[in-house]
Amino acid sequence: MKHVVVDPITRIEGHLRVEAQVDEATGKVTDALSSGTAWRGLELVMNGRDPRDAWAYIQRICGVCTTAHALASVRAVEDALGIKIPKNANYIRNIMAATLTVQDHIVHFYHLHALDWVSPVEALAADPIATANLQTTVLNAYRVHLAGPTSNWNTEAYPHDFPAATPQYFQAIKDKVKAIVESGQLGIFAAQWWDHPDYKLLPPEVHLLAVAHYLEMLDKQRELVTPHVVFGGKNPHPHYVVGGMPCSISLEDGNAPINTARLDIVDRAINMGRTLVNYYYLPDLLAIGATYVRAGRVDGGGMAKERVLAYGMYPMEDYQGTSEKSTGGFFKNLLVRCNGVVENFGAGVANATFTEITAKDMQDPEVFTESVEHAWYAYEKSDSDKLHPWDGQTKAKYTGPKDGTPTEWKALNEQGKYSWLKTPKWRGKLAEVGPLARYIIIYTKSAKGLLQNPTWAETFMLNQIQAVSNLLGLAPEVWLPTMVGRTAARALDCQLAAEINKFFFDKLIANIKSGDTAVCNMDRFDPATWPKSAMGVGVYEAPRGGLSHWIHIENGKTKNYQCVVPTTWNACPRDDQAGQGAYEKAMMDTHIAVPDKPLEIAKVIRSFDPCMACATHMYNAKGEKIGVITTDPFGGTRVE
Amino acid sequence: MERESLWDHYMKKGMSRRSFVKGCIALTSLMGLSTDMVIKVVEAAEKTPLPVVVWIHGHECTGCDESFIRSGSPLASDLVLNEIALEYDHLLSAACGEPFEAHLDKTIQQYKGKYILAVEGATCTKDNGVYCMSGGHTFSHLLQKASAGAAAVVAYGSCAAYGGIQAAKPNPTGSSGISQFIGNAPLVKVPGCPPIPEVMTGVIMHIALFGSIPPLDNDGRPKQFYGNRIHDTCYRRPFFDAGMFAETFDDKGAKAGWCLYKLGCRGPETYNSCGNLRWFQGMSYPIQSGAPCIGCSNANFWDEDPLLTRMPEYGPLGNVDKIGAAAAGAMAVGVAAHAVVSVAQKNMKEAKELAEKKGE
Repeated sequence: MKHVVVDPITRIEGHLRVEAQVDEATGKVTDALSSGTAWRGLELVMNGRDPRDAWAYIQRICGVCTTAHALASVRAVEDALGIKIPKNANYIRNIMAATLTVQDHIVHFYHLHALDWVSPVEALAADPIATANLQTTVLNAYRVHLAGPTSNWNTEAYPHDFPAATPQYFQAIKDKVKAIVESGQLGIFAAQWWDHPDYKLLPPEVHLLAVAHYLEMLDKQRELVTPHVVFGGKNPHPHYVVGGMPCSISLEDGNAPINTARLDIVDRAINMGRTLVNYYYLPDLLAIGATYVRAGRVDGGGMAKERVLAYGMYPMEDYQGTSEKSTGGFFKNLLVRCNGVVENFGAGVANATFTEITAKDMQDPEVFTESVEHAWYAYEKSDSDKLHPWDGQTKAKYTGPKDGTPTEWKALNEQGKYSWLKTPKWRGKLAEVGPLARYIIIYTKSAKGLLQNPTWAETFMLNQIQAVSNLLGLAPEVWLPTMVGRTAARALDCQLAAEINKFFFDKLIANIKSGDTAVCNMDRFDPATWPKSAMGVGVYEAPRGGLSHWIHIENGKTKNYQCVVPTTWNACPRDDQAGQGAYEKAMMDTHIAVPDKPLEIAKVIRSFDPCMACATHMYNAKGEKIGVITTDPFGGTRVE
Repeated sequence: MERESLWDHYMKKGMSRRSFVKGCIALTSLMGLSTDMVIKVVEAAEKTPLPVVVWIHGHECTGCDESFIRSGSPLASDLVLNEIALEYDHLLSAACGEPFEAHLDKTIQQYKGKYILAVEGATCTKDNGVYCMSGGHTFSHLLQKASAGAAAVVAYGSCAAYGGIQAAKPNPTGSSGISQFIGNAPLVKVPGCPPIPEVMTGVIMHIALFGSIPPLDNDGRPKQFYGNRIHDTCYRRPFFDAGMFAETFDDKGAKAGWCLYKLGCRGPETYNSCGNLRWFQGMSYPIQSGAPCIGCSNANFWDEDPLLTRMPEYGPLGNVDKIGAAAAGAMAVGVAAHAVVSVAQKNMKEAKELAEKKGE
């Protein structure tokens, strides 16, 4: 038995460590542990702040899924205060969200995940002519020919960002890779397990093609987020406002934040996103994924076979409230009704069960809870207590590793506490979240006849699943709950988001055309109009899965702020009753070929697109005296 | 910041050609290359290498990495493949775990005194730094180790420069900017949350092109990017001067693109390039999109809240509230005050030109 440690896991956001016990004879993982190794205490920083500023602070949880936390935050505050945002603000926020999803998924696949599948070293053996031919084959064989609703404004004459398929192009890329390898300075390509057998699964031409697209997408991804720059002023970390959006619309003022010229920038980025996912991302991914599936690599599913969860996404029109007390408009109004939990999908869709998540569930103290048995926190009564986020409490309780010292770890203690992530639960059970969850839920609902009058987006998702199933010659129950399925579902989610982006852009144009230019509802902006005490929750299907923010406002200030984040669901430490979380289960469902070079572990973890800064956060330590360090560059550092 | 090749290094140390080639063979296997590549590695080791950059992450959100790759000129691909050798970076590096950490140790040893250390994120000081662990060690340990041999340190973002969001009250983890924890290495502060993409790449390009760190102000910020207040370069400045303000979000003034001063805009005290470079090569910046500046490149901006409260109620500028007052008389004072300054500057410029003319 070999004790395998991968720390740091790179090509993710933040600080993550995993440990695994691997049986060297069989390559089987007998136990696995996932630990978030940093904690910043941002929710504590929220206390006492103006709730109208919360989005700016809490957005800094994460700069990769930038916008996600700002959006969940304004939704939580608006739920607490009963604010209904204007139509345009809802459309613009949906464009912000879909834009993030498109860009984030593309960056994840090419820049954070691709080097687990392809290698620049293998690309050196590629024939540029054969690679050019391969590009044509990939486009012929692996495109998913689907489109969203017919648009009144089809502004793109032809796909401007089409993949090059000339031998000269691939020769140039190959020459550059060769020069880097021969320079001895491998830079970002240094020190990887390039001799791992997984890199031999694909022919050299696939490696060269993927490396070329890695570079192209590194150049292009920046242009995909220009809607954030137009509507929010910058990216990363665009600006929001409680009550709507700050970007006023005027077709009569040359200095207006939004006018026709500004909307044209957004339109161009949306068209580009559709082209990149249809001609690069999906075909590349399916070509690689199909090779793995054909080689029998359908492992790495883990929790996906047992339980997946989502909150639902894209409110169609302006609405009021997320929780039931605030009319729960969010849940009545969704373009993708994946709000629910599917259990037992691995046993086939006939044996799977579906449970809806409703506005009422959001305020039920029995439904969403968190525990800290194996997290470096202590609860007042018992660490096994299940506390609802509105009643959350935490006190840091760092216990160090099993083997090593508090500041130098050799092995963490799976019997005790070992992570800065809490363990979130739905009705006492753990679940996996993310694009894979959304697709499993919609597929299961449809198969069980629970998807009444499907929206165009839901039909689109079902057609995507069908297209991939036909391509692989496998049922969705077989290919979806796997490592490849998790990565493929993300690409499908990207294609969907690209069409949703266009859908809401068209709605925005139509609404402005009708004469409505309002972007912000200021009726309850003044704290004098607020109740003395109010609770709110905001949910958002972030690129990595279901995200919820919970706020308690008292006397115009934030009294308690809490986030239950996708990566907390997936990367959480185990629970003595509910068992292990999604990362740990996925590792235990993964075969390791060379225990000294555990590429498969890194690969299956990256299939979740980890975002650790999101996942580790501290809850309100009520009445606890905290040391304060002031770091004034002029006054010097002092400790109070 | 002159760089020497590995062969120069061996010669300086009086080591033999034989041990140099042996070193190259070891390097070849370390890089995971086959033995027929040894010749190439020997050739490369004799050439002057690219500037080596080591990028480490403390308490951060990776927004600075993301901003870096948003750069339009230079493109991140050109920078990372042609101008620098980014040997260690948690976001982009292929490797992970043990070999990655070994590569870091090897890199800071091999390029001792020559590599650029980029730091993203604050350092955690409370309880010996246990709230920020990576590779089984504390980040504070890594910062100390990596800065010891650095030719220069670049503090990317407001977290590395000043402590950032996690250092806001009550600073639960005792987080702080890195300046006091990097020994004597020269420090370039590149604040912002995140900094503008082209400012981030601009600093590295300056080092790659000119072989030196860019000229800095008293606080260690590159003058070319932090020399102006956003207010000084804001395209909405004429509305401030004219006393034309948005009173609330989405009112007539907001639609017309008037000054956001009354909505809390921190432009008048924020030194950054948002007004002149803007984001995405001139496309926008928060003010242009209707959102008041939150002062994200200022040292303690997170504790200068509420963010929507207009400046004189918290700010260090003194009472310039008269400028924002709706009363026509007070407005005239503001306009007059600005006019006086402008006239004085114009007179000085003209007087200087006149003196120069006379001197000819």
